[in-house]
Amino acid sequence: MAFLEVSRLTVRFGGLTAVSQLDLSVDEGALVALIGPNGAGKTTAFNVITGVYAPTEGHVRLAGCEIGGASPHAISAHGVARTFQNIRLFRGLSALDNVRAALLGASRAGWRDVLRGAAWRSRERAGEAEARALLDELSLGPSADARADSLPYGEQRRLEIARALATKPKLLLLDEPAAGMNPAEKQALRELVAQLRRVHGLTIVLIDHDVSFVMNLCERVAVLDHGEKIADDVPAAVRRDPKVIEAYLGADSEAGAAG
Amino acid sequence: MSRTGWARLAGFGVALAALHFAPLALNPYFVTILARIGIAIVAAASLQLVNGFTGQFSIGHAGFMGLGAYASAAFSVYLGAAVLDALGGALPAGLARLLYFPFPLLVGGLVAAAAGLVVAVPALRLRGDYLAIATLGAGEIIRIAILNVDSVGGARGFSLASDVHPGVDLRFDSLAGVYGVAVIAIAAIARLVYAGGGLAFRAVREDETAAESLGIPTTRVKVEAFLVSSFFAGVAGALFAHSEGYIHTNSFSFVRSFEIVTFVVLGGLGSLSGAVLAAAVLTAAPELLRGLGEWRMILYAALLIATMILRPQGLLGQRELWPLSRLAAPDPPSS
Repeated sequence: MAFLEVSRLTVRFGGLTAVSQLDLSVDEGALVALIGPNGAGKTTAFNVITGVYAPTEGHVRLAGCEIGGASPHAISAHGVARTFQNIRLFRGLSALDNVRAALLGASRAGWRDVLRGAAWRSRERAGEAEARALLDELSLGPSADARADSLPYGEQRRLEIARALATKPKLLLLDEPAAGMNPAEKQALRELVAQLRRVHGLTIVLIDHDVSFVMNLCERVAVLDHGEKIADDVPAAVRRDPKVIEAYLGADSEAGAAG
Repeated sequence: MSRTGWARLAGFGVALAALHFAPLALNPYFVTILARIGIAIVAAASLQLVNGFTGQFSIGHAGFMGLGAYASAAFSVYLGAAVLDALGGALPAGLARLLYFPFPLLVGGLVAAAAGLVVAVPALRLRGDYLAIATLGAGEIIRIAILNVDSVGGARGFSLASDVHPGVDLRFDSLAGVYGVAVIAIAAIARLVYAGGGLAFRAVREDETAAESLGIPTTRVKVEAFLVSSFFAGVAGALFAHSEGYIHTNSFSFVRSFEIVTFVVLGGLGSLSGAVLAAAVLTAAPELLRGLGEWRMILYAALLIATMILRPQGLLGQRELWPLSRLAAPDPPSS
Protein backbone atom coordinates (compact mmCIF):
# COMPACT_ATOMS: atom_id res chain seq x y z
CA MET A 1 0.00 0.00 0.00
CA ALA A 2 1.14 3.52 -0.74
CA PHE A 3 2.58 5.65 2.07
CA LEU A 4 0.52 8.72 1.24
CA GLU A 5 -2.87 7.90 -0.23
CA VAL A 6 -5.10 10.74 -1.39
CA SER A 7 -8.35 9.39 -2.71
CA ARG A 8 -11.23 11.19 -4.43
CA LEU A 9 -10.25 14.41 -2.66
CA THR A 10 -12.48 17.39 -3.35
CA VAL A 11 -12.13 20.84 -1.80
CA ARG A 12 -14.73 23.53 -2.39
CA PHE A 13 -14.70 27.12 -1.21
CA GLY A 14 -18.30 28.22 -1.60
CA GLY A 15 -19.00 27.81 -5.32
CA LEU A 16 -15.37 27.38 -6.30
CA THR A 17 -14.00 23.87 -6.62
CA ALA A 18 -10.27 24.19 -5.98
CA VAL A 19 -9.50 20.47 -6.08
CA SER A 20 -11.77 17.95 -7.71
CA GLN A 21 -11.72 14.17 -7.24
CA LEU A 22 -7.96 14.06 -6.84
CA ASP A 23 -6.32 10.65 -6.51
CA LEU A 24 -2.67 10.58 -5.64
CA SER A 25 -0.61 7.80 -4.16
CA VAL A 26 2.98 8.18 -3.13
CA ASP A 27 5.12 5.19 -2.17
CA GLU A 28 7.43 5.30 0.81
CA GLY A 29 10.74 6.87 -0.16
CA ALA A 30 9.44 8.22 -3.46
CA LEU A 31 10.05 11.69 -4.82
CA VAL A 32 6.99 12.93 -6.65
CA ALA A 33 6.37 16.29 -8.27
CA LEU A 34 3.02 18.04 -8.40
CA ILE A 35 2.99 20.54 -11.23
CA GLY A 36 0.41 22.65 -12.97
CA PRO A 37 -0.38 26.20 -14.03
CA ASN A 38 -1.25 28.91 -11.51
CA GLY A 39 -4.51 28.25 -9.69
CA ALA A 40 -4.49 24.56 -10.54
CA GLY A 41 -5.02 23.54 -6.90
CA LYS A 42 -1.50 22.38 -6.02
CA THR A 43 -1.14 24.42 -2.86
CA THR A 44 -4.72 23.65 -1.86
CA ALA A 45 -3.87 19.94 -2.08
CA PHE A 46 -0.86 20.57 0.20
CA ASN A 47 -3.03 22.54 2.59
CA VAL A 48 -5.43 19.63 2.91
CA ILE A 49 -2.65 17.08 3.42
CA THR A 50 -1.16 19.27 6.18
CA GLY A 51 -4.52 20.02 7.81
CA VAL A 52 -4.82 23.73 7.02
CA TYR A 53 -8.09 22.93 5.22
CA ALA A 54 -10.42 20.01 5.82
CA PRO A 55 -11.40 18.00 2.75
CA THR A 56 -14.92 18.67 1.48
CA GLU A 57 -15.03 15.08 0.25
CA GLY A 58 -12.57 12.24 0.05
CA HIS A 59 -9.75 10.89 2.17
CA VAL A 60 -6.14 11.53 3.00
CA ARG A 61 -4.37 8.54 4.50
CA LEU A 62 -0.84 8.36 5.77
CA ALA A 63 0.52 4.84 6.23
CA GLY A 64 -3.08 3.66 6.30
CA CYS A 65 -4.13 6.16 8.96
CA GLU A 66 -6.79 8.75 8.07
CA ILE A 67 -5.44 12.27 8.60
CA GLY A 68 -7.92 14.26 6.49
CA GLY A 69 -9.52 16.96 8.64
CA ALA A 70 -7.11 16.58 11.58
CA SER A 71 -5.46 19.72 12.95
CA PRO A 72 -2.11 20.74 11.47
CA HIS A 73 -0.19 20.13 14.69
CA ALA A 74 -1.66 16.64 14.98
CA ILE A 75 -0.69 15.88 11.38
CA SER A 76 2.80 17.16 12.10
CA ALA A 77 2.98 14.60 14.89
CA HIS A 78 2.23 11.91 12.27
CA GLY A 79 5.46 12.88 10.53
CA VAL A 80 4.37 15.38 7.90
CA ALA A 81 6.33 18.62 7.47
CA ARG A 82 6.15 21.31 4.85
CA THR A 83 7.57 24.53 3.53
CA PHE A 84 5.48 27.41 2.24
CA GLN A 85 5.17 29.02 -1.17
CA ASN A 86 5.67 32.49 0.29
CA ILE A 87 8.28 31.82 2.93
CA ARG A 88 6.80 31.74 6.42
CA LEU A 89 9.72 31.93 8.79
CA PHE A 90 9.51 33.25 12.34
CA ARG A 91 10.91 36.48 11.02
CA GLY A 92 11.79 38.15 14.30
CA LEU A 93 13.66 35.14 15.69
CA SER A 94 17.20 34.06 14.92
CA ALA A 95 17.83 31.25 12.44
CA LEU A 96 18.81 29.05 15.36
CA ASP A 97 15.61 29.84 17.26
CA ASN A 98 13.54 29.07 14.18
CA VAL A 99 14.89 25.53 14.25
CA ARG A 100 14.82 25.27 18.06
CA ALA A 101 11.16 26.32 18.06
CA ALA A 102 10.39 23.39 15.77
CA LEU A 103 12.51 20.98 17.82
CA LEU A 104 11.31 21.96 21.30
CA GLY A 105 8.12 23.95 20.78
CA ALA A 106 5.88 20.98 20.11
CA SER A 107 6.72 19.36 23.44
CA ARG A 108 6.84 22.30 25.78
CA ALA A 109 8.29 21.70 29.21
CA GLY A 110 5.78 24.00 30.99
CA TRP A 111 6.59 24.43 34.67
CA ARG A 112 9.91 22.63 34.17
CA ASP A 113 10.97 25.66 32.14
CA VAL A 114 10.47 27.70 35.29
CA LEU A 115 12.28 25.38 37.70
CA ARG A 116 15.07 24.37 35.28
CA GLY A 117 16.49 21.21 36.79
CA ALA A 118 19.38 19.13 35.47
CA ALA A 119 17.19 17.10 33.10
CA TRP A 120 15.75 20.30 31.68
CA ARG A 121 19.23 21.68 31.07
CA SER A 122 20.42 18.61 29.23
CA ARG A 123 17.30 18.65 27.08
CA GLU A 124 17.93 22.29 26.18
CA ARG A 125 21.58 21.59 25.38
CA ALA A 126 20.68 18.60 23.22
CA GLY A 127 18.05 20.70 21.44
CA GLU A 128 20.49 23.45 20.67
CA ALA A 129 23.19 21.04 19.47
CA GLU A 130 20.68 19.31 17.22
CA ALA A 131 19.48 22.64 15.84
CA ARG A 132 23.05 23.71 15.07
CA ALA A 133 23.73 20.38 13.37
CA LEU A 134 20.68 20.86 11.14
CA LEU A 135 21.76 24.38 10.25
CA ASP A 136 25.24 23.08 9.39
CA GLU A 137 23.74 20.37 7.23
CA LEU A 138 21.98 23.04 5.15
CA SER A 139 25.10 25.25 5.16
CA LEU A 140 23.45 27.81 7.41
CA GLY A 141 25.89 27.41 10.31
CA PRO A 142 27.46 30.88 9.97
CA SER A 143 24.00 32.51 9.93
CA ALA A 144 22.74 30.76 13.07
CA ASP A 145 22.48 33.90 15.17
CA ALA A 146 21.20 36.24 12.46
CA ARG A 147 17.55 37.26 12.46
CA ALA A 148 15.62 35.12 9.99
CA ASP A 149 14.31 38.10 8.01
CA SER A 150 17.83 39.47 7.56
CA LEU A 151 19.01 36.37 5.67
CA PRO A 152 19.37 36.37 1.89
CA TYR A 153 16.50 34.80 -0.02
CA GLY A 154 18.19 31.48 -0.78
CA GLU A 155 19.15 31.02 2.87
CA GLN A 156 15.59 31.76 3.97
CA ARG A 157 14.38 28.97 1.68
CA ARG A 158 16.96 26.58 3.15
CA LEU A 159 16.12 27.67 6.70
CA GLU A 160 12.50 26.75 6.07
CA ILE A 161 13.64 23.28 5.02
CA ALA A 162 15.90 23.00 8.10
CA ARG A 163 12.98 23.97 10.31
CA ALA A 164 10.72 21.40 8.64
CA LEU A 165 13.38 18.69 9.10
CA ALA A 166 13.57 19.52 12.80
CA THR A 167 10.15 17.93 13.28
CA LYS A 168 11.70 14.63 12.09
CA PRO A 169 9.24 14.13 9.26
CA LYS A 170 8.71 11.00 7.19
CA LEU A 171 6.88 12.95 4.50
CA LEU A 172 8.21 16.33 3.40
CA LEU A 173 6.08 18.64 1.27
CA LEU A 174 7.99 21.39 -0.54
CA ASP A 175 5.81 24.15 -1.95
CA GLU A 176 7.65 25.76 -4.88
CA PRO A 177 11.10 25.48 -3.33
CA ALA A 178 12.68 26.74 -6.58
CA ALA A 179 10.55 29.88 -6.90
CA GLY A 180 12.64 32.91 -7.70
CA MET A 181 15.87 30.99 -8.17
CA ASN A 182 18.30 31.24 -11.09
CA PRO A 183 19.38 28.08 -12.99
CA ALA A 184 22.54 27.61 -10.89
CA GLU A 185 20.58 27.88 -7.64
CA LYS A 186 17.95 25.51 -9.01
CA GLN A 187 20.66 22.97 -9.77
CA ALA A 188 22.03 23.30 -6.22
CA LEU A 189 18.51 22.86 -4.84
CA ARG A 190 17.99 19.71 -6.92
CA GLU A 191 21.14 18.24 -5.43
CA LEU A 192 20.10 19.27 -1.93
CA VAL A 193 16.65 17.68 -2.24
CA ALA A 194 18.15 14.44 -3.54
CA GLN A 195 20.69 14.41 -0.72
CA LEU A 196 18.14 15.13 2.05
CA ARG A 197 15.94 12.37 0.72
CA ARG A 198 18.83 9.92 0.90
CA VAL A 199 20.21 11.00 4.29
CA HIS A 200 16.90 11.38 6.13
CA GLY A 201 15.03 8.58 4.35
CA LEU A 202 12.29 11.00 3.32
CA THR A 203 9.29 10.67 1.10
CA ILE A 204 9.05 13.95 -0.76
CA VAL A 205 6.29 15.66 -2.71
CA LEU A 206 7.27 18.93 -4.31
CA ILE A 207 5.34 21.56 -6.17
CA ASP A 208 6.68 23.42 -9.15
CA HIS A 209 5.39 25.15 -12.24
CA ASP A 210 7.88 23.72 -14.60
CA VAL A 211 8.38 20.17 -15.90
CA SER A 212 12.01 20.82 -16.78
CA PHE A 213 12.96 21.55 -13.15
CA VAL A 214 11.69 18.18 -11.94
CA MET A 215 12.80 16.28 -15.05
CA ASN A 216 15.93 14.62 -13.68
CA LEU A 217 14.89 14.78 -10.05
CA CYS A 218 11.57 13.01 -9.65
CA GLU A 219 10.52 9.56 -10.72
CA ARG A 220 6.95 10.64 -11.16
CA VAL A 221 5.09 13.80 -12.04
CA ALA A 222 1.42 14.46 -11.39
CA VAL A 223 -0.11 17.35 -13.31
CA LEU A 224 -3.07 19.34 -12.02
CA ASP A 225 -5.20 21.71 -14.03
CA HIS A 226 -8.34 23.45 -12.77
CA GLY A 227 -8.30 21.20 -9.73
CA GLU A 228 -8.24 17.96 -11.69
CA LYS A 229 -5.40 15.58 -12.25
CA ILE A 230 -4.76 15.40 -15.99
CA ALA A 231 -1.59 13.31 -16.01
CA ASP A 232 0.43 11.12 -13.65
CA ASP A 233 3.46 9.40 -15.10
CA VAL A 234 7.24 9.45 -15.50
CA PRO A 235 8.52 12.94 -16.42
CA ALA A 236 9.42 12.09 -20.01
CA ALA A 237 5.90 10.82 -20.73
CA VAL A 238 4.24 13.78 -18.98
CA ARG A 239 6.26 16.13 -21.10
CA ARG A 240 4.82 14.66 -24.30
CA ASP A 241 1.28 14.34 -22.98
CA PRO A 242 -1.05 16.42 -25.22
CA LYS A 243 -3.34 17.26 -22.30
CA VAL A 244 -0.43 18.71 -20.37
CA ILE A 245 0.72 20.73 -23.34
CA GLU A 246 -2.80 22.01 -23.78
CA ALA A 247 -3.01 23.05 -20.12
CA TYR A 248 0.19 25.00 -20.31
CA LEU A 249 0.08 26.44 -23.82
CA GLY A 250 -3.54 26.33 -24.92
CA ALA A 251 -5.37 23.95 -27.28
CA ASP A 252 -4.12 25.28 -30.60
CA SER A 253 -0.41 25.23 -29.92
CA GLU A 254 1.90 22.79 -31.57
CA ALA A 255 2.68 19.72 -29.50
CA GLY A 256 6.44 20.20 -29.80
CA ALA A 257 6.42 23.60 -28.10
CA ALA A 258 6.21 22.25 -24.57
CA GLY A 259 9.29 21.51 -22.51
CA MET B 1 23.46 25.18 44.50
CA SER B 2 26.58 26.87 43.17
CA ARG B 3 28.46 29.61 45.03
CA THR B 4 27.11 32.34 42.76
CA GLY B 5 23.67 30.88 43.38
CA TRP B 6 24.07 31.29 47.14
CA ALA B 7 25.52 34.77 46.70
CA ARG B 8 22.55 35.77 44.58
CA LEU B 9 20.12 34.35 47.13
CA ALA B 10 21.89 36.24 49.94
CA GLY B 11 21.74 39.48 47.92
CA PHE B 12 18.06 38.89 47.30
CA GLY B 13 17.51 38.34 51.05
CA VAL B 14 19.35 41.54 52.02
CA ALA B 15 17.36 43.52 49.46
CA LEU B 16 14.08 42.08 50.79
CA ALA B 17 15.06 42.89 54.38
CA ALA B 18 15.92 46.46 53.36
CA LEU B 19 12.55 46.80 51.62
CA HIS B 20 10.79 45.27 54.60
CA PHE B 21 12.14 47.91 56.96
CA ALA B 22 12.08 50.78 54.46
CA PRO B 23 8.57 51.93 55.47
CA LEU B 24 9.91 52.77 58.95
CA ALA B 25 12.35 55.30 57.49
CA LEU B 26 10.40 56.61 54.53
CA ASN B 27 7.58 59.07 54.18
CA PRO B 28 4.33 57.00 53.91
CA TYR B 29 3.55 58.81 50.66
CA PHE B 30 6.72 57.38 49.08
CA VAL B 31 5.94 53.94 50.47
CA THR B 32 2.53 54.03 48.79
CA ILE B 33 4.04 55.09 45.48
CA LEU B 34 6.76 52.44 45.68
CA ALA B 35 4.14 49.79 46.41
CA ARG B 36 2.05 50.95 43.43
CA ILE B 37 5.12 50.79 41.20
CA GLY B 38 5.79 47.21 42.30
CA ILE B 39 2.17 46.23 41.62
CA ALA B 40 2.23 47.95 38.22
CA ILE B 41 5.37 45.97 37.40
CA VAL B 42 3.66 42.65 38.18
CA ALA B 43 0.64 43.63 36.07
CA ALA B 44 2.80 44.81 33.16
CA ALA B 45 5.08 41.76 33.21
CA SER B 46 2.07 39.43 33.19
CA LEU B 47 0.40 41.22 30.28
CA GLN B 48 3.67 41.19 28.35
CA LEU B 49 3.44 37.38 28.19
CA VAL B 50 0.17 37.56 26.23
CA ASN B 51 0.57 40.80 24.25
CA GLY B 52 4.31 40.95 23.72
CA PHE B 53 5.45 37.35 23.56
CA THR B 54 2.41 35.44 22.30
CA GLY B 55 1.22 38.29 20.08
CA GLN B 56 -2.40 38.21 21.24
CA PHE B 57 -3.72 41.68 21.94
CA SER B 58 -5.62 41.57 25.22
CA ILE B 59 -6.98 44.82 26.67
CA GLY B 60 -9.01 43.48 29.58
CA HIS B 61 -6.23 42.85 32.08
CA ALA B 62 -7.71 45.07 34.79
CA GLY B 63 -10.71 42.73 35.03
CA PHE B 64 -8.48 39.85 36.12
CA MET B 65 -6.58 42.16 38.43
CA GLY B 66 -9.86 43.27 40.00
CA LEU B 67 -11.06 39.71 40.38
CA GLY B 68 -7.80 38.80 42.15
CA ALA B 69 -8.12 41.86 44.37
CA TYR B 70 -11.69 41.09 45.40
CA ALA B 71 -11.17 37.34 45.80
CA SER B 72 -8.13 37.86 48.01
CA ALA B 73 -9.83 40.62 50.01
CA ALA B 74 -12.90 38.44 50.54
CA PHE B 75 -10.62 35.61 51.67
CA SER B 76 -8.90 37.90 54.16
CA VAL B 77 -12.11 39.42 55.47
CA TYR B 78 -14.07 36.20 55.88
CA LEU B 79 -11.37 33.59 56.52
CA GLY B 80 -8.30 35.64 57.36
CA ALA B 81 -8.85 35.75 61.13
CA ALA B 82 -9.27 31.96 61.30
CA VAL B 83 -6.17 31.27 59.18
CA LEU B 84 -4.17 33.78 61.21
CA ASP B 85 -5.32 32.10 64.46
CA ALA B 86 -4.31 28.68 63.16
CA LEU B 87 -0.87 29.95 62.19
CA GLY B 88 -0.54 31.97 65.41
CA GLY B 89 -1.20 28.85 67.49
CA ALA B 90 2.20 27.43 66.57
CA LEU B 91 4.21 30.51 65.69
CA PRO B 92 5.00 33.96 67.11
CA ALA B 93 2.47 36.56 66.00
CA GLY B 94 4.85 38.53 63.73
CA LEU B 95 5.94 35.45 61.83
CA ALA B 96 2.36 34.20 61.56
CA ARG B 97 1.35 37.48 59.92
CA LEU B 98 4.22 37.18 57.45
CA LEU B 99 3.32 33.58 56.60
CA TYR B 100 -0.32 34.48 56.18
CA PHE B 101 0.12 36.71 53.15
CA PRO B 102 0.99 34.06 50.54
CA PHE B 103 -2.53 32.64 51.11
CA PRO B 104 -4.59 35.59 49.86
CA LEU B 105 -2.11 36.14 47.04
CA LEU B 106 -2.54 32.55 45.89
CA VAL B 107 -6.32 32.78 46.23
CA GLY B 108 -6.36 35.98 44.16
CA GLY B 109 -4.10 34.43 41.52
CA LEU B 110 -5.99 31.15 41.27
CA VAL B 111 -9.43 32.74 41.04
CA ALA B 112 -8.18 35.12 38.33
CA ALA B 113 -6.52 32.22 36.49
CA ALA B 114 -9.77 30.23 36.57
CA ALA B 115 -11.61 33.22 35.10
CA GLY B 116 -8.79 33.61 32.58
CA LEU B 117 -9.32 30.05 31.43
CA VAL B 118 -13.06 30.58 31.05
CA VAL B 119 -12.45 33.72 28.98
CA ALA B 120 -9.50 32.35 26.99
CA VAL B 121 -11.03 29.20 25.57
CA PRO B 122 -13.72 30.97 23.54
CA ALA B 123 -11.95 34.34 23.12
CA LEU B 124 -8.68 32.99 21.74
CA ARG B 125 -10.50 31.61 18.72
CA LEU B 126 -10.67 35.25 17.69
CA ARG B 127 -7.81 37.23 16.22
CA GLY B 128 -6.58 40.79 16.24
CA ASP B 129 -9.20 43.46 16.79
CA TYR B 130 -11.91 40.92 17.58
CA LEU B 131 -9.83 39.40 20.37
CA ALA B 132 -9.07 42.86 21.75
CA ILE B 133 -12.77 43.74 21.90
CA ALA B 134 -13.66 40.37 23.46
CA THR B 135 -11.07 40.81 26.23
CA LEU B 136 -12.19 44.39 26.80
CA GLY B 137 -15.74 43.12 27.19
CA ALA B 138 -14.68 40.28 29.48
CA GLY B 139 -12.82 42.72 31.73
CA GLU B 140 -15.86 44.96 32.02
CA ILE B 141 -18.19 42.02 32.63
CA ILE B 142 -16.01 40.92 35.53
CA ARG B 143 -15.95 44.44 36.97
CA ILE B 144 -19.69 44.95 36.72
CA ALA B 145 -20.40 41.49 38.12
CA ILE B 146 -18.29 42.31 41.19
CA LEU B 147 -20.03 45.68 41.52
CA ASN B 148 -23.28 43.78 42.03
CA VAL B 149 -22.07 41.40 44.75
CA ASP B 150 -23.18 42.83 48.04
CA SER B 151 -21.03 40.64 50.28
CA VAL B 152 -17.94 42.35 48.85
CA GLY B 153 -19.32 45.83 49.34
CA GLY B 154 -21.00 46.43 46.00
CA ALA B 155 -20.90 50.08 45.00
CA ARG B 156 -19.58 51.12 48.44
CA GLY B 157 -16.24 49.48 47.80
CA PHE B 158 -14.66 46.85 50.01
CA SER B 159 -12.47 47.49 53.02
CA LEU B 160 -10.13 44.96 54.60
CA ALA B 161 -10.90 46.50 57.98
CA SER B 162 -14.46 45.22 57.92
CA ASP B 163 -16.70 44.64 60.89
CA VAL B 164 -16.80 40.89 60.26
CA HIS B 165 -13.73 40.47 62.48
CA PRO B 166 -13.15 43.83 64.16
CA GLY B 167 -9.62 44.46 65.35
CA VAL B 168 -7.98 42.16 62.81
CA ASP B 169 -5.92 44.27 60.42
CA LEU B 170 -4.77 42.40 57.38
CA ARG B 171 -3.25 45.29 55.52
CA PHE B 172 0.21 44.53 54.33
CA ASP B 173 2.51 47.53 54.46
CA SER B 174 5.85 45.85 53.74
CA LEU B 175 7.44 46.63 50.41
CA ALA B 176 9.36 43.35 50.64
CA GLY B 177 6.22 41.38 49.85
CA VAL B 178 5.38 43.48 46.83
CA TYR B 179 8.87 43.43 45.34
CA GLY B 180 9.51 39.82 46.30
CA VAL B 181 6.39 38.84 44.35
CA ALA B 182 7.45 41.11 41.47
CA VAL B 183 10.81 39.35 41.24
CA ILE B 184 9.14 35.92 41.34
CA ALA B 185 6.63 36.92 38.63
CA ILE B 186 9.29 38.37 36.33
CA ALA B 187 11.63 35.41 36.84
CA ALA B 188 8.85 32.88 36.21
CA ILE B 189 7.65 34.57 33.03
CA ALA B 190 11.18 35.15 31.73
CA ARG B 191 12.12 31.52 32.32
CA LEU B 192 8.93 30.41 30.62
CA VAL B 193 9.47 32.43 27.44
CA TYR B 194 13.26 32.27 27.26
CA ALA B 195 13.45 28.48 27.10
CA GLY B 196 13.52 26.18 24.12
CA GLY B 197 9.94 25.10 24.76
CA GLY B 198 9.00 28.72 25.42
CA LEU B 199 9.89 29.53 21.84
CA ALA B 200 6.38 28.22 21.14
CA PHE B 201 4.97 31.51 22.49
CA ARG B 202 7.10 33.62 20.18
CA ALA B 203 6.52 31.23 17.27
CA VAL B 204 2.77 31.83 17.65
CA ARG B 205 3.41 35.58 17.66
CA GLU B 206 5.58 35.44 14.54
CA ASP B 207 3.48 33.11 12.38
CA GLU B 208 0.60 31.00 13.62
CA THR B 209 0.20 28.97 10.42
CA ALA B 210 3.87 28.04 10.34
CA ALA B 211 3.85 27.23 14.07
CA GLU B 212 0.90 24.86 13.62
CA SER B 213 2.59 23.13 10.68
CA LEU B 214 5.59 22.40 12.91
CA GLY B 215 3.49 20.62 15.51
CA ILE B 216 3.01 23.51 17.92
CA PRO B 217 -0.56 23.37 19.27
CA THR B 218 -1.16 27.09 18.90
CA THR B 219 -4.53 27.26 20.64
CA ARG B 220 -3.11 25.49 23.68
CA VAL B 221 -0.08 27.75 23.73
CA LYS B 222 -2.31 30.82 23.66
CA VAL B 223 -4.56 29.49 26.42
CA GLU B 224 -1.52 28.70 28.57
CA ALA B 225 -0.14 32.20 28.08
CA PHE B 226 -3.51 33.66 29.03
CA LEU B 227 -3.73 31.40 32.09
CA VAL B 228 -0.32 32.35 33.47
CA SER B 229 -0.94 35.98 32.61
CA SER B 230 -4.27 36.17 34.41
CA PHE B 231 -2.79 34.31 37.40
CA PHE B 232 -0.17 37.01 37.90
CA ALA B 233 -2.73 39.73 37.19
CA GLY B 234 -4.77 38.25 40.04
CA VAL B 235 -1.70 38.24 42.27
CA ALA B 236 -1.09 41.91 41.38
CA GLY B 237 -4.70 42.64 42.31
CA ALA B 238 -4.27 40.81 45.62
CA LEU B 239 -1.15 42.86 46.37
CA PHE B 240 -3.09 46.00 45.52
CA ALA B 241 -5.97 45.08 47.83
CA HIS B 242 -3.66 44.25 50.73
CA SER B 243 -1.41 47.27 50.41
CA GLU B 244 -4.22 49.80 49.91
CA GLY B 245 -6.58 48.23 52.43
CA TYR B 246 -9.63 49.45 50.51
CA ILE B 247 -10.67 48.61 46.96
CA HIS B 248 -13.38 49.80 44.63
CA THR B 249 -14.37 48.45 41.23
CA ASN B 250 -13.57 51.88 39.74
CA SER B 251 -9.88 50.99 40.15
CA PHE B 252 -10.30 48.11 37.71
CA SER B 253 -12.12 49.74 34.82
CA PHE B 254 -10.89 49.68 31.23
CA VAL B 255 -8.89 52.83 32.02
CA ARG B 256 -6.61 50.66 34.16
CA SER B 257 -6.50 48.04 31.40
CA PHE B 258 -5.31 50.64 28.92
CA GLU B 259 -2.76 51.87 31.42
CA ILE B 260 -1.24 48.37 31.59
CA VAL B 261 -1.34 48.06 27.79
CA THR B 262 0.52 51.40 27.67
CA PHE B 263 3.28 49.99 29.92
CA VAL B 264 3.68 47.01 27.63
CA VAL B 265 3.60 48.88 24.32
CA LEU B 266 5.74 51.78 25.48
CA GLY B 267 8.29 49.47 27.07
CA GLY B 268 8.48 47.41 23.90
CA LEU B 269 6.28 44.48 22.90
CA GLY B 270 8.38 41.42 23.63
CA SER B 271 10.64 42.90 26.30
CA LEU B 272 10.03 42.16 29.98
CA SER B 273 12.65 44.72 30.98
CA GLY B 274 10.84 47.30 28.88
CA ALA B 275 7.50 46.56 30.53
CA VAL B 276 9.08 46.82 33.99
CA LEU B 277 10.83 50.07 33.13
CA ALA B 278 7.73 51.65 31.58
CA ALA B 279 5.53 50.54 34.48
CA ALA B 280 7.93 52.11 36.98
CA VAL B 281 8.43 55.36 35.06
CA LEU B 282 4.81 55.87 34.11
CA THR B 283 3.54 55.11 37.62
CA ALA B 284 6.05 57.48 39.18
CA ALA B 285 5.74 60.23 36.53
CA PRO B 286 2.33 61.64 37.51
CA GLU B 287 3.57 61.90 41.10
CA LEU B 288 6.95 63.41 40.23
CA LEU B 289 5.26 65.93 37.94
CA ARG B 290 2.77 66.95 40.62
CA GLY B 291 4.57 70.28 41.04
CA LEU B 292 3.44 71.28 37.56
CA GLY B 293 -0.20 71.38 38.62
CA GLU B 294 -2.68 70.91 35.81
CA TRP B 295 0.09 70.87 33.20
CA ARG B 296 1.26 67.45 34.31
CA MET B 297 -1.34 65.41 32.43
CA ILE B 298 -0.53 67.37 29.27
CA LEU B 299 3.16 66.65 29.74
CA TYR B 300 2.42 62.98 30.45
CA ALA B 301 0.39 62.70 27.24
CA ALA B 302 3.06 64.56 25.25
CA LEU B 303 5.67 62.16 26.62
CA LEU B 304 3.66 59.18 25.38
CA ILE B 305 3.08 60.70 21.94
CA ALA B 306 6.73 61.65 21.55
CA THR B 307 7.90 58.16 22.50
CA MET B 308 5.57 56.52 20.02
CA ILE B 309 6.79 58.84 17.24
CA LEU B 310 10.46 58.56 18.04
CA ARG B 311 10.49 54.90 19.07
CA PRO B 312 7.48 53.07 17.60
CA GLN B 313 8.98 49.74 18.69
CA GLY B 314 8.86 50.94 22.32
CA LEU B 315 11.69 51.93 24.63
CA LEU B 316 13.58 48.64 24.36
CA GLY B 317 12.03 46.97 21.32
CA GLN B 318 12.54 43.26 22.00
CA ARG B 319 15.80 43.66 23.90
CA GLU B 320 16.28 42.74 27.54
CA LEU B 321 18.43 44.43 30.15
CA TRP B 322 20.59 42.68 32.74
CA PRO B 323 19.83 40.31 34.43
CA LEU B 324 17.07 39.23 32.02
CA SER B 325 19.42 39.56 29.03
CA ARG B 326 21.29 36.51 30.34
CA LEU B 327 18.15 34.41 29.99
CA ALA B 328 17.23 35.85 26.61
CA ALA B 329 20.51 34.89 24.93
CA PRO B 330 20.88 31.15 24.47
CA ASP B 331 23.87 29.58 26.20
CA PRO B 332 27.00 29.54 24.10
CA PRO B 333 27.56 26.01 22.79
CA SER B 334 29.34 23.92 25.40
CA SER B 335 32.60 22.71 23.92
